[in-house]
Amino acid sequence: MSLREYLRQRWRAMTWSWAPETELEASDAIVRNLWLHWFPNKVTLRSASWSYSLWLGTAAASLFVILLVTGMLLMFFYVPSVQTAYWSMKDIRFAVHFGFLLRNQHRWAAHLMVGVTFVHMARVFYTGAYRGARALNWLVGIVLLLTTLLLSFTGYLLPWDQLAYWAVTVGTNIAREAPLVGTTLRFLLLGGNEIGQATLLRFYVLHVFVLPAILLILFAYHMWRVRKDGGLAAAEPLRRSRRLTPTAPSPSKTYSIFGVRPGATLQTLATTHVEETDVAFSSPELTRRLTLVFLLVFNVTLLLSIMFDAPLEEAANPNLTPNPAKAPWYFLWLQELVASTTIRLGHVTISGGFIGGILIPGILLLLAAAWPFLDRSANSTEGVWWPRERLLQNLVFTAVAVAIVALIIVSLYFRGPSWGFYWPWQAWPPSPATL
Amino acid sequence: MGLLLAVAGVAAVSRHSLTMRRFSRLESLDFPLLVVLSVAFFALVIAGVVRQASPDWGPIQERFRGVLEENGQLRAARAFTPGIRQLWLPELGRVDRCITCHLGYEWAGTLPATLPAPLAPHPPLPYLDAHPFTRFGCTVCHGGQGFAVTIRDAHGDVEHWDDPLLDRRIAARNGLTQSELMQLRCNGCHRREETTPGMETIAQAKELFRKNKCLVCHVVDGRGGVKAPELTFIGDQDPELFDFTHVTGPHTAFNWHVQHVTHADVVSPGTAMPDFDFPAEEGRALALLLLSWRRVDFPPSYLPGPSAVTAGEAPARQPVSPPVIAGAEAGREVFVTRGCNSCHGVGSGTVIGPDLKGVGGRRDERWLRSWLADPAAVIRATPDFQKWPAEYGNIVMPNQNLSTAEIDELISYLAKL
Repeated sequence: MSLREYLRQRWRAMTWSWAPETELEASDAIVRNLWLHWFPNKVTLRSASWSYSLWLGTAAASLFVILLVTGMLLMFFYVPSVQTAYWSMKDIRFAVHFGFLLRNQHRWAAHLMVGVTFVHMARVFYTGAYRGARALNWLVGIVLLLTTLLLSFTGYLLPWDQLAYWAVTVGTNIAREAPLVGTTLRFLLLGGNEIGQATLLRFYVLHVFVLPAILLILFAYHMWRVRKDGGLAAAEPLRRSRRLTPTAPSPSKTYSIFGVRPGATLQTLATTHVEETDVAFSSPELTRRLTLVFLLVFNVTLLLSIMFDAPLEEAANPNLTPNPAKAPWYFLWLQELVASTTIRLGHVTISGGFIGGILIPGILLLLAAAWPFLDRSANSTEGVWWPRERLLQNLVFTAVAVAIVALIIVSLYFRGPSWGFYWPWQAWPPSPATL
Repeated sequence: MGLLLAVAGVAAVSRHSLTMRRFSRLESLDFPLLVVLSVAFFALVIAGVVRQASPDWGPIQERFRGVLEENGQLRAARAFTPGIRQLWLPELGRVDRCITCHLGYEWAGTLPATLPAPLAPHPPLPYLDAHPFTRFGCTVCHGGQGFAVTIRDAHGDVEHWDDPLLDRRIAARNGLTQSELMQLRCNGCHRREETTPGMETIAQAKELFRKNKCLVCHVVDGRGGVKAPELTFIGDQDPELFDFTHVTGPHTAFNWHVQHVTHADVVSPGTAMPDFDFPAEEGRALALLLLSWRRVDFPPSYLPGPSAVTAGEAPARQPVSPPVIAGAEAGREVFVTRGCNSCHGVGSGTVIGPDLKGVGGRRDERWLRSWLADPAAVIRATPDFQKWPAEYGNIVMPNQNLSTAEIDELISYLAKL
């Protein structure tokens, strides 16, 4: 035995607890392994391509992993108390080793996750990947998006600075406009009528336990549904183009609860409607790209974290409202809607809270949820980017998305004191100082 | 490092050419992407470590070790380990990390006082014994952001930090010396003392406050009049809440107070507050005093003992209750709501202004009418009156901007007193 072979064997003995002897054992091992079993054995080339899915779901999941790890580390330093929360943020920023990196990465990854999840949703819409059996997974996806928003929103309060306090004030004031349950909902969320220690504790528990648990469970279900629905919709055009030939029932055994039933398997259509040339092994093709996407996402969050510090304003002061007080950016379009649907006639003000804060987002949400069941376009549009037949609905979706983004940009960069319009280069009225 | 990367690159490329067949089925962009992302990852990790490992205080601490050696403190120099230093003051809820850079602070007498800024010992001020570093830290007196360890953040003249270091620059900006400016902080705890060593400017302001009988109208600490805004914690009032329409110069609470105490009727047109026309220096002292009145939530053991506290700055005073006269109830109403009874008694002698008993007999209606409409104009028009306000502590009756109807009601009431 050569030295090289000897070393190889020693290395194997140290790193492998068991090695497969046959091909069957090897494939069985992959099926049994949770991480390798995440993916099917083979995927179509189109599913694994960069251009079809843009890998946005994977990017969102990667961001979630980053958030879980940085969040767990931050939990060792953060104290959810109104007296010390803000000062523990200062400690994380100034005194904790790599604390600045932890917090910045958590912050930027959270913002990115909201954006990426939304873009992922847009991709699924444009490719008609919500049709048929996938409708259920589309609904799960909507709940995942809402959970992501709630996670980000609950995390927004935790630094307990002016930014956090007033953004959450604006956000929960919008929630109050919900008919019948609004006031109760707000009371439950805040643990009272005003933001205080009870609110901080509730948001903390929601942020570090309840919502991540919901997200994890739904995410697992989301991925499982992808498998059960036959992989990405990218495979559908291929599936349609191949004629499925009925094959003779294979002479195998079927197990019923009463024992072995002789006869045929239930499978009477060939499963091999996809040619060998159309597919690739998930490992390493898919796993490699997964690594690449994770690496890319990690690099982006790292770069942002080194270059830009997460904001931390003055300690929260319930007696001093900053002007303007802005909601978190992903709710800013609602705030802009509330502001622009509020009508002032002399001294009478008709609050736009209901129209802008509840009605419009409610309708959009319901439409999104109901769309798989309303969309009557042909099956041939499934898994195809911007098909001619779905041009109109794709344009409408784009218009709504662009409107939301435009409203966010306007309220983020063009709104100054008293929600007045200011160009980004236009100075706001100077805010007075003490000395 | 570069060599390692190069070797790894060559190895990866040779491996790549072997496995190219397997990769080629998907876009072969993956491999260069992997290389680029990995190199970027390493570069970013290094950048993160560099940022963590190059704090502002690093070179300063290194310099201090040298200073210790030069001054013969070899044992201290050897024992010196770099790192963040802090004064932890749990009773005050503060952490002052200033001493991470200001390392010489407690080396007075051993290290030369002429050392450059961050390393110099704290000057041995007489009142330092009563305020030991370990109990009071730094920011209690100096301001600044004790939690921070970067130069800009720690000195606190940054966005989103309300309590900057009271340095020479800020003092000069406000026409003060640094020691004058810092008395603002002293008075947070020493507010009840008439004079305190080292607080001469604040003491001057307190004297002015007494002499000009500000408590006639203003309430401080539950004492004083009822007609003007309470001033107990006026220093906490947010600068956003001041009206700068008629203020010239910088929009700061300090500048607002300077101009307001000096020319109240200019800054707040229609105010009842007299125009005191203080010299600029006195105006600044008073503004300093006003800004020093802030809520201080230190434990009692930190506050000056009762022996140091001077008895009341002005006697507790209730406004005189004027007599009720049948047929002139509306006039009495105006008399009370407009605060005339803050200064004028009826048959009880001089309070601030003259006693108004029988004023109807002494002054005719026409005179009363012009006086109530604009007291200062009457004084200007009557040479005899120029010296007259001196009898009443130099306080000219403020113009209350009474309406004609109110003047009518008042005159019918005054005539019957």
